[in-house]
Amino acid sequence: MAEKCPACGSCGMPMEKPEDFALGDVTRPYCRHCTDARGELLPFDQVLATNARFYVESQGVTPAAADKMARAMLADMPAWRGRH
Amino acid sequence: MQAATRREQKEVTRGRLVNAAMTLFARKGIVNTTTADVAKSVRMSHGVIFLHFPTRDDLVVAVIDDFGARLSAEFRRAFEQDLGLRSVLKAHLRVLQEFEPFYARLVAEAPMLPPKVRSTLMLLHAAVSYELFTALERERKAGRARKIERPLLFNTWIGLVHHYVVNRDLFAAGNSVIAEQGETLVNHFMTLIKP
Repeated sequence: MAEKCPACGSCGMPMEKPEDFALGDVTRPYCRHCTDARGELLPFDQVLATNARFYVESQGVTPAAADKMARAMLADMPAWRGRH
Repeated sequence: MQAATRREQKEVTRGRLVNAAMTLFARKGIVNTTTADVAKSVRMSHGVIFLHFPTRDDLVVAVIDDFGARLSAEFRRAFEQDLGLRSVLKAHLRVLQEFEPFYARLVAEAPMLPPKVRSTLMLLHAAVSYELFTALERERKAGRARKIERPLLFNTWIGLVHHYVVNRDLFAAGNSVIAEQGETLVNHFMTLIKP
């Protein structure tokens, strides 16, 4: 089994380097993309939009497909589990 | 001490389940493999699986995550050595070859898999796309590559690789199409990016 680094509890992004964590603090559960300047978790809709845009920019899928995939990914994350 | 042992035992069991699932997914297909098949192959009771993976999808995601962790490690190595696009392509293929029978099933069955599983694969693809584009931009600044939009750069590479992987029985005489055709694919792709 491959060795795993911690993953963001909001979006699942692997956090390999200190700068990947909120405020560069490796004890934080969320990544820098899912948090604001104070290290607080951003609202769901904002995290969803960021993740969907990530799919569009990296693979050129439609915004609707990206939204569907991003929702599926976030639904099971500790930060958002049981939200719906 | 006992807690540590229990934790270690739990990790060992989880690892055995992930490895067994990967083997069965490769052999029977992801859609056609049940959690009961996985439990039976490691001689465990069916219920043990759900102590580690609440749903079947979670087990599939765990296998993809294992693959993703290997990929991240290879990319990190290539990045730290500041190697060019060719090295990034080769690092990608090295990991694909390691997981080739499973990966071939994953790609072939992707449209039939639940969104949760499919989005995990897309997240992996996003990481590959990022690495390719970063390496391409470095090549471009050095005058060795032309400008290519990020999605098309990734889709051209992955389309080429996936065609060979999904039809591996047609393109390889042995077990691994990546081992037999990988270098040709990398060489061809490097000619496509030239200025």
